Amino acid sequence: MKKLYWIFALLLLFFVGDRIGGYLLHQLTVKSQFRYSRMYQGKAASDILLIGNSRGLTFYQPYIEEITGKKTFNLSYNGMPINLAKLLVQDYLALYEKPALAIIDVTMCDRLNEPLISGFSLYSPYSENLSKYLIDSLPTTGYAGLLSHLYRYNSEVFQRSLFYLNKSDEDWLLDRTINEHLIQDVGNQEPKIDVMPFELAELQATINLLEAAGVKVQLVISPYYPPYVDRLTNLPVMKAKIEKATGKKVKDYAKGITDVKAFGDYQHLNKYGSKRYLDQLQQDGILPK
Amino acid sequence: MIFNSLPFFVFIGIFLPLYFSLKGKARLLLTLAGSYFFYGWWDYRFLSLIVISTLIDYIVGLELGKTQDKKKRKNLLLTSMIVNLGFLAFFKYFNFFIASFVVMLEGMGVDPSMSSLKIILPVGISFYTFQSMSYTIDVYFKKIEIEKDFIRFATFISFFPQLVAGPIVRAADFLPQFKNDRTFHWDRFTSGVGQVLWGFFKKVAVADSLAPFVDQCFAAPGGFSSLHLLIGVVFYSFQIYCDFSGYSDIAIGLARIMGFKFPDNFRTPYFSQNFSEFWTRWHISLSSWLRDYLYIPLGGNRGGSFGSIFFIVLFMFLMVLLSGWWWLALLNFVMIGAAYYYARQGATEKATLFNYMNLMVTMLLGGLWHGASWAFVFWGFLHGMYLVVQRLVGPYWNKLLNTLRIPNIIQTGLAILIVYVCTCYAWIYFRAPNFEIANQVIAGITSLEQFNVGSIVNKFWVLKGAILIGALLFVEITDFRFHYSRLIVANPTFRVVSFAIILWFLAFFGTYGSNSFIYFQF
Repeated sequence: MKKLYWIFALLLLFFVGDRIGGYLLHQLTVKSQFRYSRMYQGKAASDILLIGNSRGLTFYQPYIEEITGKKTFNLSYNGMPINLAKLLVQDYLALYEKPALAIIDVTMCDRLNEPLISGFSLYSPYSENLSKYLIDSLPTTGYAGLLSHLYRYNSEVFQRSLFYLNKSDEDWLLDRTINEHLIQDVGNQEPKIDVMPFELAELQATINLLEAAGVKVQLVISPYYPPYVDRLTNLPVMKAKIEKATGKKVKDYAKGITDVKAFGDYQHLNKYGSKRYLDQLQQDGILPK
Repeated sequence: MIFNSLPFFVFIGIFLPLYFSLKGKARLLLTLAGSYFFYGWWDYRFLSLIVISTLIDYIVGLELGKTQDKKKRKNLLLTSMIVNLGFLAFFKYFNFFIASFVVMLEGMGVDPSMSSLKIILPVGISFYTFQSMSYTIDVYFKKIEIEKDFIRFATFISFFPQLVAGPIVRAADFLPQFKNDRTFHWDRFTSGVGQVLWGFFKKVAVADSLAPFVDQCFAAPGGFSSLHLLIGVVFYSFQIYCDFSGYSDIAIGLARIMGFKFPDNFRTPYFSQNFSEFWTRWHISLSSWLRDYLYIPLGGNRGGSFGSIFFIVLFMFLMVLLSGWWWLALLNFVMIGAAYYYARQGATEKATLFNYMNLMVTMLLGGLWHGASWAFVFWGFLHGMYLVVQRLVGPYWNKLLNTLRIPNIIQTGLAILIVYVCTCYAWIYFRAPNFEIANQVIAGITSLEQFNVGSIVNKFWVLKGAILIGALLFVEITDFRFHYSRLIVANPTFRVVSFAIILWFLAFFGTYGSNSFIYFQF
């Protein structure tokens, strides 16, 4: 009998500690200035919504606000897949009045990323969509998050929310110039990019959600380091597939910036490059004047 | 089936209650069936290899018991060695030998048209082969009794907790434990659960959390700063330690729950003060196997044999042919000449020289045991060199430190640091996919370019890794004083609190997704 008490004591201690720990971490998440924390706390109303993966981070929010005078919110995250973006857009539209414009960098549709979606489970208490998705599509993560509240915070997303606890994340952008090694090595790169039917369907669903709410949607391909994009031979195929599936024109800026100084690496503009790119978007009428 | 996967938890949840509800032969049969099921879950076809190895060594053992004829006994031992090493050579080394042979012929200007076979490496083949061979060798030298019960023998070879990644347990230590029924014992159970949990912490929380950063560093080292690469190498040293010792802890803990006592396989190796000590703390079951079945038969500390000379000359020959560096041949001749001159100085010098050769052969073959690649051989070579240089320079080094009156604590710290740095240097070759990448990592670190925190990509991974390594070292250092494994048994409050802390760590820091163990590939 004593042995059963021992097991009971262990379970009790684990769950009490887990719930207290989960509560404390939740409080930190609530206070964070991280974009998703702000979004679920009702502090992210905007006129322009930006959506993408790490390449979407080059939609440098403070500069857009400076040149357009419009409030902007960037939903992008490293490796963000389109199905997660759809869930976040759904939540955004439910929480806020409709923005006037949404810009999607469609190169985010090239991969799925279940670990990242699992990483967002810290926001599942706020989002029925996310909770339902986790239980239905990633049941191990979904149920583990119900069993252990600490587990919900076991992700890079939480670490980022801690990082931005007392500072804004709007400056989250590469601030370096592509190094000599990468420049020399570009000839050895054989990158591939493609879009699967599931991702096309999710992109279409995201566009439908936005347009049904009266949001104007612009699809773009942000710039790559030019010698790199020359090796990304199937990018035009991907673009064509997206245009065919969505019936919308994709504005292609893959080779839009040629200045080497504008890049942090092959796929990402740095702060300087981002500003040049955003100027171009405004000149072309994608961003309002 | 791997320990950090859902199917294993289901399996063990069914297996353990059944195990303790049965007795005698039925329990043994259940353990054997469970072990085959555990292994077959990965690929049932390779079960046949274990069964053949088991049958051969069982029959050889029985036959060795029936005859005293030296020639017949030798032939029986040879049969076992040929079958076991034959499987190992074919499944693990065939393509490696073919590829090396092709390179060698190309180096000689011959155009060979040979192709390799698509061979799948059976998980754990190096472990169970060595375990099985040690039984036959010990029976041959009459060190242990013959096992007449086939089920008991087959369970010894295939015992699932340590089947695929060790520890390699000797027949003399393990077989007698099957003879008594292992009853459920609460203290053993709690102590076993503690070790299993600690193993999971090492594997799931530490090793798997460090893995992405390490993978990134070794995939394209050219793109990272000096500090980033240095952290990558340090992380790898802890990743491989936690991955492998974590597996050993889970295996030893599971065996203890089932009533078996296995020896330690790791004893805080990165606190070693010299390389000989390192090898008594790292993968102890393999290093002691190599010591007893290779190093000592070669002559050990006392002298040499034909084998010592044969292996050294063979490696020198292959080094020249495969590298294509013909100047190495000249260097080898000079080294052989110098060795010959040294050996002629007297019996002590000759014994010393053979001792160095035996060390080198043992480490080279130990490296090759890890995998069919020259990188592993080079890793073994580096460790062989460390041992030889330590024996050559060690006495002078100690004398120098004493003359300079360096305090003991600094001497100890310096010794630990030197061993750790040299070990990390060797790990670079062990981890890198090829020599080119390994050299890029070393060049990147030594360039000291961008040696600043700002140059680190993915600082979150570094922060998480640092916290986990800190927690690991805290427990390992304080364990010297508090002996946690004893406290877990003796103090129920400590047990509950420590288990809960590990579970919280697993929930908050664990990396899930059934990442395989590194040593499975060996």
